Amino acid sequence: MLQIEHLTKIYGDGTVALDDVSFEVPDGEFLVILGLSGAGKSTLLRCINRLIEPTKGRIIWDGTDITASSGEELRQIRRHIGMIFQEFNLVERTSVLINVLSGRLGYVNPWLSLLHYFPREEVDRALRNLERVGIADLAHKRADELSGGQRQRVGIARALMQEPRLMLADEPVASLDPVLAHSILRYLEQLNREDGITVICSLHFLDLVRRYASHVVGLKDGRVVFQGLPDEITDRRFKEIYGEEAERITVA
Amino acid sequence: MQRKKSPVLSSVLSLIVPGLGQVYAGSPSRGAAFFIAIAVTAILVRWRGNSLLYTGIAVAWLWNVWDACNLAQGRRLSSILPFLAIALVLYVIGWGVTEINLRRLLTDVADVKPLVSDLFQPAVFERDIEELVGEVQFESPCSDSPPAKGSPLESEPYLVLVDKTCGDPGDTFTIEGGNFWPNSRGYIWWSNLAGEMEFRVRYKGDYLTFETDEEGRIPPTTVIVQEPFAEAKDKGPQLYRVQARMRRETGPLHLSETFFLVVEKMVETVFLALMATTIAIIIAIPISFLAARNLMGGNPISMAVYYVVRTILNTLRSIEPLIMAIIFVVWVGLGPFAGVLALAVHSIAALGKLYSEAVESIDPGPIEAITATGANRLQTIVYAVIPQIVPPYLAFTIYRWDINVRMSTIIGFVGGGGIGYLLQQWIRLLMYEEAGAAVWAIAIVVAIMDYASAKAREKIT
Ligand SMILES: Nc1ncnc2c1ncn2[C@@H]1O[C@H](COP(=O)(O)OP(=O)(O)OP(=O)(O)O)[C@@H](O)[C@H]1O
Ligand SMILES: [Mg+2]
Repeated sequence: MLQIEHLTKIYGDGTVALDDVSFEVPDGEFLVILGLSGAGKSTLLRCINRLIEPTKGRIIWDGTDITASSGEELRQIRRHIGMIFQEFNLVERTSVLINVLSGRLGYVNPWLSLLHYFPREEVDRALRNLERVGIADLAHKRADELSGGQRQRVGIARALMQEPRLMLADEPVASLDPVLAHSILRYLEQLNREDGITVICSLHFLDLVRRYASHVVGLKDGRVVFQGLPDEITDRRFKEIYGEEAERITVA
Repeated sequence: MQRKKSPVLSSVLSLIVPGLGQVYAGSPSRGAAFFIAIAVTAILVRWRGNSLLYTGIAVAWLWNVWDACNLAQGRRLSSILPFLAIALVLYVIGWGVTEINLRRLLTDVADVKPLVSDLFQPAVFERDIEELVGEVQFESPCSDSPPAKGSPLESEPYLVLVDKTCGDPGDTFTIEGGNFWPNSRGYIWWSNLAGEMEFRVRYKGDYLTFETDEEGRIPPTTVIVQEPFAEAKDKGPQLYRVQARMRRETGPLHLSETFFLVVEKMVETVFLALMATTIAIIIAIPISFLAARNLMGGNPISMAVYYVVRTILNTLRSIEPLIMAIIFVVWVGLGPFAGVLALAVHSIAALGKLYSEAVESIDPGPIEAITATGANRLQTIVYAVIPQIVPPYLAFTIYRWDINVRMSTIIGFVGGGGIGYLLQQWIRLLMYEEAGAAVWAIAIVVAIMDYASAKAREKIT
């Protein structure tokens, strides 16, 4: 169970990106965070694994206060939280295999890892995870030679190396075409259903939300404006989240 | 700006001081531009120009009055006319200041021909030199027992005195000789008895020469008695050696001494570039992190370090390596070490800036992603930062290496070692064939290095 309590983030320039955000995510949920560009979705997700320091509030995960941890303890927490990104954030000019293996850095011997040494079983694990996302044959290609969909699958494989219990996905499909979007989200759905990994994913399109979410949090200007089931998002609710002028866009 | 200004007042102001009317009319930058342009040009004309050029300034000045008048009424004229007038004046002055002389370019082209032809006959190959010397002794001034006239030898080259065996400086005497190579030319040399002071005798400005006949005999030749050497002044009668010398090339062509010297210095040159570049890389890498805004931003102390490092780098970079070399020559003495230091310091500044820009342009995404896996700081640097900066670092380093190879070939002009030192000396001594060898060596090595680094650059991208 992940509990977000009164989370506030004010950036150095005074931008209030999150304003007293509170909600809970029970284990095994597929939570979608919905909101306009600039609503604070990325900020919220990055506060959970402390890529961004919250200004106020607490984040408690299975009884551990993530916001209070630091150093080694924080790294221990982070390695159980996978994250995938809109821009994939792969290390270009490096092989797919190394990219995937880098997901395991929190587990392996740190000194040996600096020499790019990984034990045999970790390499096997990486190959298994690549197989799981259907691109085992690309292991030795360079990351910058892949297409967008392939890159995001490498991103998922990298996150899977962490054996995560929680998966954060920041608009994982916003750079992909609709068909690929479904295929990537289906992988997340599969992880959620089969492996019981809790997923917190920010998305733009309501159709995708309806199709994949088990629960939805709507953000607007850093505030929670909706909490509930995907079916409860009526057109009126949608306009509350997205503003009056918003039209629903349909994804194939 | 809204309120109308008086065009008359504006014009009068601009007539008195160019630009003042524009300032009055609410356009200070335009006024400043007029004032500076007219003032600077007027000073330059006074200093170096022809008074005819004042016409150009007058045009600009009058136009400036007209402009002020219009500006006061809210109209902006295009300033192309005064701009052209001023530019014309400046180019005329520039032509004079730089002493451009197209006629000389055409009429004196012959002067450069021997130089160019020597450069194209670099002293790479040579033959051995063989020399014939015949000599006789001569006394100056005369003593009670002057030397003998000398006598012809059987088979060795010889010289004999024909009329006198002694005389005062400025007198003339005659020599002749034999057993030299037939039909060849040679020079007369003068030296003291010990033989350590010697020179070629001149006659009316030219070296005194002789031609042998078909039997190798030197016909009677007139020589002037030379002034005594400084140390023999006022020491009374001295014996001197008068020599006839003849040289010719012999044997097959072989690589010249110059060639080996050039090769040796070229090796020194390349090592100079190598050492300078390597030292620069080692120092510039850590410095580049201190000069990267994205790493140093955040707290005031690191920002202060950032500004200090940036300022030092920019200052050092603005000093040309040749000037730097002069400083280091004074500091550590003539030679390649001074050159290494000069190039290294300049390269540190240049690479530090380029490297830091590479650090500034890295994508934060991968760093975020690797941090999120629970990796520690060192792992994050190795997995997310280094892969991003290695390619640009390599590219900049190769680029710098190219520049350093070029610079190292001329750093010797100011005493910084390498081939430039030889080249500069040979040019001064008018030894253009040797200079040609050096120039060719530089061209070849630079071309090879260019080619190699182009290949290397292809590899890394
Ligand atoms: N580093 C930062 N410094 C200052 N302001 C920031 C920073 N990062 C984000 N913001 C601001 O915080 C607000 C929330 O940004 P955030 O990136 O979390 O929104 P988002 O919902 O993810 O938007 P998008 O859909 O465009 O990714 C925005 O107004 C943004 O301009
Ligand atoms: Mg975002």
